[in-house]
Amino acid sequence: MPASDGRGAERRGELNRMRSDAYRIGVDVGGTFTDVVGIAADGTETLAKAPSTPADQSEGVIAGLGNLAEALGLTLAELLRRTERIVHGTTVATNALLERRGAKAAMLTTEGHRDVIEMREGLKPERYDLRLPAPEPLVPRSLRLPVRERLRADGGVETPLDAASLDTAIARLREAGAEAVAICFLHSWRDPSHEQAAAEAVARALPGAYVTCSAEVLPQIKEFERFSTTAVNAYVGPAVSRYLARLKGRLEEAGYRGTLFVILSHGGVAPVEEAARLAVGTALSGPAGGVAAAVALARQGLGGDLVTFDMGGTSTDIALVAGGEAALGRGRSVGGERIALESLDIVTLGAGGGSIAHLGPGGTLQVGPRSAGAVPGPACYGQGGTEPTVTDANLVLGYLDPANFLGGRKRLDAAAAERAVAGLAARLGLAPEACAAGIHRLVNARMADGVRVATVRRGVDPRGFALLGFGGAAGLHATAVARELGLRRAVVPLFAAGLSAWGMLQSDLRYEVSQSVIGAGGMPEDAELRALFERLERQGRARMEGWYSGEVTALRGADMRYGEQVFEVAVPLDGIAWDGPDLAGQLRAAFHARHRALFTYDLPGEEVVLVNARVAVVGRLPQPPVAARPAAARAEPVARRRVWLEEGVAEAPVFRFEALAPDQAVQGPALVESATTTVLLRPGDAARMDGRGWLDVALG
Amino acid sequence: MPDAKPPAPPDPVTLAVLDARLRAIVEEMGEAMLRTSYSQILNSSRDFSIALCDSRCRLVAQADHIPVHVGAMPWAARAVAEDFAGQVRPGDTFLLNDPYHGGSHLPDLTIVLPVFGEGALRFWSVVRAHHTDVGGATHGGYNPGATEIWQEGIRIPPIRLGEGGGLREDLLRMLVTNTRLARDVRGDLMAMIGAARLGEARLAPLLARHGAEAMEAAVSAILDLSEAHARRIVAAWPDGEWTGEAFLDDDGFGRTDIAIRARVTKRGDGLRVDLSDSDPQATGFVNSSYANMRSAVAMAFAFLLDPEVSKNDGAFRPLEVIAREGTIVWAREGAPVTMCTSHCSNEIVEAIIRAMQHCCPERAMGGWGRRFRVAITGRDARRPGRSFVWHMFHARPGGGGSSGGDGWSTAGEWHSAGGLKFGSVEMAEARFPLHFERHEFLPGSAGDGQHRGGLGGELVLRVESDGPCRANTAGDGARHGAAGILGGRDGAPHHYVLRHADGTERVLRTKEVGIAVAPGDRLHVRAGGGGGWGPPERRDPALRERDAREGYV
Repeated sequence: MPASDGRGAERRGELNRMRSDAYRIGVDVGGTFTDVVGIAADGTETLAKAPSTPADQSEGVIAGLGNLAEALGLTLAELLRRTERIVHGTTVATNALLERRGAKAAMLTTEGHRDVIEMREGLKPERYDLRLPAPEPLVPRSLRLPVRERLRADGGVETPLDAASLDTAIARLREAGAEAVAICFLHSWRDPSHEQAAAEAVARALPGAYVTCSAEVLPQIKEFERFSTTAVNAYVGPAVSRYLARLKGRLEEAGYRGTLFVILSHGGVAPVEEAARLAVGTALSGPAGGVAAAVALARQGLGGDLVTFDMGGTSTDIALVAGGEAALGRGRSVGGERIALESLDIVTLGAGGGSIAHLGPGGTLQVGPRSAGAVPGPACYGQGGTEPTVTDANLVLGYLDPANFLGGRKRLDAAAAERAVAGLAARLGLAPEACAAGIHRLVNARMADGVRVATVRRGVDPRGFALLGFGGAAGLHATAVARELGLRRAVVPLFAAGLSAWGMLQSDLRYEVSQSVIGAGGMPEDAELRALFERLERQGRARMEGWYSGEVTALRGADMRYGEQVFEVAVPLDGIAWDGPDLAGQLRAAFHARHRALFTYDLPGEEVVLVNARVAVVGRLPQPPVAARPAAARAEPVARRRVWLEEGVAEAPVFRFEALAPDQAVQGPALVESATTTVLLRPGDAARMDGRGWLDVALG
Repeated sequence: MPDAKPPAPPDPVTLAVLDARLRAIVEEMGEAMLRTSYSQILNSSRDFSIALCDSRCRLVAQADHIPVHVGAMPWAARAVAEDFAGQVRPGDTFLLNDPYHGGSHLPDLTIVLPVFGEGALRFWSVVRAHHTDVGGATHGGYNPGATEIWQEGIRIPPIRLGEGGGLREDLLRMLVTNTRLARDVRGDLMAMIGAARLGEARLAPLLARHGAEAMEAAVSAILDLSEAHARRIVAAWPDGEWTGEAFLDDDGFGRTDIAIRARVTKRGDGLRVDLSDSDPQATGFVNSSYANMRSAVAMAFAFLLDPEVSKNDGAFRPLEVIAREGTIVWAREGAPVTMCTSHCSNEIVEAIIRAMQHCCPERAMGGWGRRFRVAITGRDARRPGRSFVWHMFHARPGGGGSSGGDGWSTAGEWHSAGGLKFGSVEMAEARFPLHFERHEFLPGSAGDGQHRGGLGGELVLRVESDGPCRANTAGDGARHGAAGILGGRDGAPHHYVLRHADGTERVLRTKEVGIAVAPGDRLHVRAGGGGGWGPPERRDPALRERDAREGYV
């Protein structure tokens, strides 16, 4: 293999011919564990875990890779030498934002408008909490430095870039020791030349600084969204690029010669260099893998309409896959900071297995948002936790085997769980089992409500969807949540606990380009439209070709709205005859139809305004093959366990998940267990083991 | 209403599930409303509210959108229940806006939908939304020249807009014909009805699964728990009686410094708010309707509680409200009231909070800013033959300081409290013949204090219209700034100046119509900041240093 230029095999289009002893590896850094999934050339999947190392995530990654090598009977160097692709989901940007530990960032901005990011469009969360303190801006006012320059809305120059004011600002940057600089000028999406000139001057004066321009991060109208996204990029950029460089260095030291990719918030992957340049694009890198997995499973025959239900220790991520495609959106905030890049539309609920059940201030039973986290963890972890968590309740109810948690590596303390639950039960006047059942039921109801709000927000009725449960805790809750929602089907993959890391290997290369087009008229002429989309597509392909030479497809889309509306609607533009007649009319018709589908009505005859043109350039990466599960004998229950269900106490048979034969049926009540996941089947649930590796549950 | 023997309350788990479910239903209704509404004021500024009331018109759950609607929604359900007693049937759709019959002010239209279970009325699904136009003498509903309500728009007492799930198209046409923006009003009404029906659709399976009686018992138990929660908080405050006042600048007809006076008596776990000493009602539109006054009092109370207290009928039970008809806070039928959801709502809240600063200083907050709207209409050379109307939401006032810290800058007024979004400057310049020379914080506008107020905004706006424009104003707060409390200083009042291209200038008043604006004129807005909390001499020197370094003062 040639030098580690970050391009490796993909560059030369050799990917489809995967060597027979080669591996692809997905790495998902979670709050507690780093999951590493290796897929061999024959499709065999292996999951390894290592504790996450928040101070430097690359340590946990290397440890996880070491554990994977061990599981495969290889040395780390042997494994890495045989690895063709590593895809990584990182939470470095997310954590820097949540913990407010980003770079010392400054901003150069148009004189007279330096408070855009601190004004936050006049909005404040928590309507009735007037004592809530205002957040500190990512870039303090004293480092938001005015530069004399001004463009007009049509791109004309009102005030040329003033060299003296730029020099003054740069002197101040130097004096303050800025590590990153966001360059944010009004109307720069029309003409980036003022921003570019300023960026060049800054780069000359501060050679080590991370410099980023708003017109490059998000060339779209609406200054708050553009400036805020750019400020976040400056804030997390130094940490993300340092981390990725460090990880790449460590991997190379350990013998890796392939390409290191990072999964981005939109679910596509990009090489590390690209991810470091647009660091803000990794803000949702963590949960993106699970959604990518859902898309891949949909492709493998699971069905195209899915609600993903990724239930972890402290939170649960919910996303929609409709018609085999993941929903994208641009309304995202992370750590209270607006990020307007196209990203997977993931709703995060503050409840998971570690959520603490308590008596709320109003006197009702509540679950979360406080979590026992990794330390002390649920009471049953025996690490000093005394408050009852969802996991404790599940243990009291008999859903978990104390001896088989994490494949037996952690023994759960049932007595401690019972004590914790009993304390709360006494305050509610309930028996401990009834209280535990209540905790379980309440968390299911909250999850179902979260899915409802997430789906109605997207104009979708979830009842025709299947619930895809994964993450460590989903198996015990999936069928109840699905039933609560009126769904008829729930699916839990055998690989539930490592599904995010697995999903990262199923993603394609993706690069997004967009351009605002708003002018005096609502919609440009046909010729102009054609030229605009062609130019964007050329731009995207050119950038992709810098690191990929395989097959590239381009997906076109547009943000449009009716005349006086403020929200734009994202309209996919497949099916448009680009060389056909009345292109503008076709775009309008696509918008009317989309508006009708989302909001039940449209307004034919009303002016349609095209605000943003967008093109996603996708480089297909070959998918790892799916290992067919060998035909096996029907598995018999390995044990029976007493479980408390809403219908009463039952003796449920316990099956080994991986031992189930293809097409084997299991009737609830039953428990299906693997080393990392337990699925609870309730009375009326009819499960079937799918040969492709998932438990398919029909809800009676 | 079978009031004989209440069924036993459900077990605590079912109760918790139903409580969460009811809240999720209003949230889902709100999402649907946000996504389907047509006009900007709804889908961007979110000036709407959603509520579920029980068969006794008690507020059960409400989505948090605009605080000033918090206590007003049950009055709408009550007005319908009274006017149509014995005649409410499944599939009915009711509508109202009249402030003297269940409404707050005319632009707020309210849809009220009965929800039946086991053959009887069980819930009301209520959706209120601010409409872009409701007729009347001026565009957009705010008419500072109105001296009677008929000059403010079309009055709709509770009417049955449709039955059997359908709508009376003739009635609907009559209503929208009486507005300038028939299509917007119709589109928004449809969105409201859709959201209200969604509430009905979500309640039906709950009623079927748990049974109507058990649901009723659960609702009563939820309200009782909220009541107990609120009373526990109130009980921790010292007993006593305090007074507070706040002033409106004027009524637009020469009468200035109109006082809103609150006498608050706290005994045990209850609070009595007496507004009887407030000044007599005014000639212009700053009067409050009764429901709006009740809502403003509820809003002030909600601000003093913990934010986690469910905003429902139970939470407001510790509150007793006394007022006198004919005063500024409760005008007699026929008086104009359109401004009331901002003024005098803001002054009612501020008078109560000023009284309470001595009772619960850790919970009271410095005054939030006042609303001073400007709308400019004229022609744009880039779009020949079309006129434009621009409503200013920029340069917002600051919020008040509190025990939690300094106030939020440019987050708005008491009645919206950070809930109204201002639009993009780039978008405004692209769509209107306006040039924003400056839109930044106004240093020094906040009231000083141990925790200072938030900063107001400053806007210098150059008009680039094709020919002359006209501007209207509607609002208050150019004489009286947001009040400081506990020794904190008041925020600066608003100061709006129109500078003509020829160098002359004049200060704008808060209630003017037909102001002549020429191309090249500049509107210079200096918005007031929030009131301070605690004496300035107690301010941490490190914060003073930071204020100086960051240019906040």
